[in-house]
Amino acid sequence: MTRRQQIANGCVAMALVALAGWLFTAVFSLLGNQTDWSKAWEYRETLWRGWLVTLGISFAALAGSIVFGLLFLLGQRSPLPVVRWTCRSFLEFVRDTPLLVHLLFGYFVIFAPLISRDLGQRGFDDKLVIGILLLSVFEGAYLGEILRGGVESIPRTQWESARAVGFSPFQVYRYVIFPQALRRVLPAMAGLFVSLIKDSSLLNVIGVTEYFYNTKNFIARSYAGLEGYVPLALGYLVLTLPVAWLSHWLENRFRHET
Amino acid sequence: MKLEVETVHKHYGATRALDGLSLSIGSARVLVLIGPSGGGKSTLLRVLGGLETADSGSVMVNGHPLRPDAAALQAYRRRNGFLFQQFNLFPHLTALENIALPLEKVHRHPPAGARDLAEQALARFSLLDHAAKLPAQLSGGQQQRVGIARAVAHQPEVLFLDEPTSALDPEMTAEVLELIQELAEAGQDIILSTHEMGFARAVADQVAFVAAGKIEELAPPADLFGRPRSALCARFLSRVMRY
Repeated sequence: MTRRQQIANGCVAMALVALAGWLFTAVFSLLGNQTDWSKAWEYRETLWRGWLVTLGISFAALAGSIVFGLLFLLGQRSPLPVVRWTCRSFLEFVRDTPLLVHLLFGYFVIFAPLISRDLGQRGFDDKLVIGILLLSVFEGAYLGEILRGGVESIPRTQWESARAVGFSPFQVYRYVIFPQALRRVLPAMAGLFVSLIKDSSLLNVIGVTEYFYNTKNFIARSYAGLEGYVPLALGYLVLTLPVAWLSHWLENRFRHET
Repeated sequence: MKLEVETVHKHYGATRALDGLSLSIGSARVLVLIGPSGGGKSTLLRVLGGLETADSGSVMVNGHPLRPDAAALQAYRRRNGFLFQQFNLFPHLTALENIALPLEKVHRHPPAGARDLAEQALARFSLLDHAAKLPAQLSGGQQQRVGIARAVAHQPEVLFLDEPTSALDPEMTAEVLELIQELAEAGQDIILSTHEMGFARAVADQVAFVAAGKIEELAPPADLFGRPRSALCARFLSRVMRY
């Protein structure tokens, strides 16, 4: 940095701190005497339970989206045109319609009438299972496109070399294409997984008692404001930041010079 | 090695890469393909190497017909070695892993045995110092030599080399050609295409001039380079040998 840039940097930093400080004092002076953090403490158990459900949904949907993502990837690379085109149009449909609609339509119109009773009889929470399934399909559609981009970005010579050393088609993907493709799409995948964790909050519309749902109830019952939203934001950050860090760490580890 | 190729056709869209090509070789250790670019050398090598299937015609290598089904071709590729012009190595694996992985996964060696064999293959071409390097850390010539080490680590019946030095500068070309000559002298059956006429002359048992998807001329190097019978071949040679 040149001397002038240093000065400019210092000035901008001071301005930002001042702005943030002003915003905080303004908000807190408005709410100051009404903010009562003991409310959040009273509801800690239901909030904690909700957070655990969100954690569970995130892990399950992450695994599910990987399964669907791989299926969509392979479907789009199928030698059968009918499989390719079905996959293509399904993906397009899923990606171009809101998740909220999928959840409402998928739950109330399609899956609840079909399998809710069976799931209930077997002791499952039908909303949770169907919610995870719908979330997995939605995120899997994006993941499928990310993976396809990665796989198609690997140069032709790599496919040929892999074939030439005698790898079977499965081995070509397993040992040559995927390891290289995954490195390329890692940042995009991490971004998607962060979205997935945040999108899980939408499951509240079908009545899954996850973190957002429980916080919403807590706010409604106790007339809380800040006391509800701050833990809500922090709760999601605790889930998403490790994913972001992990992705940065993996990226650095795998950065092979090309 | 023995080759029987009969009226092989191979089209890519409207381009006739191989146009009724026939080739018969009773016995040769090193067959070199020369000829103009786009004449069909690469396609012929790829068909012979089992990477591509002919549209029509028949191919016999060492008395066995090449069948066009995927499983048979894969088994055939596993018995042989193939090297392209460049980018042969897998960039996410070290030189050693590049050799050891196929030995382990394709040729079913136990992991430790595969590593030992890979080390021997590298040592044979004095590449052991580079074992732990990624391809991007190697020079083009070193990459090709590791590529060859990988292609011969499982003792292939035939080694196919598709213009192995075309992407290299003269110094690296020399180091790769020396290695190929070493292999030939050690008794390895080799089919290669090249633009290095001096090398073709020195190392080949038979030289085939491929142009317009056909074999224009097939002869031992002394004859083909000394007194080419085909006018096309004579013109090609006089043009490439001028400088």
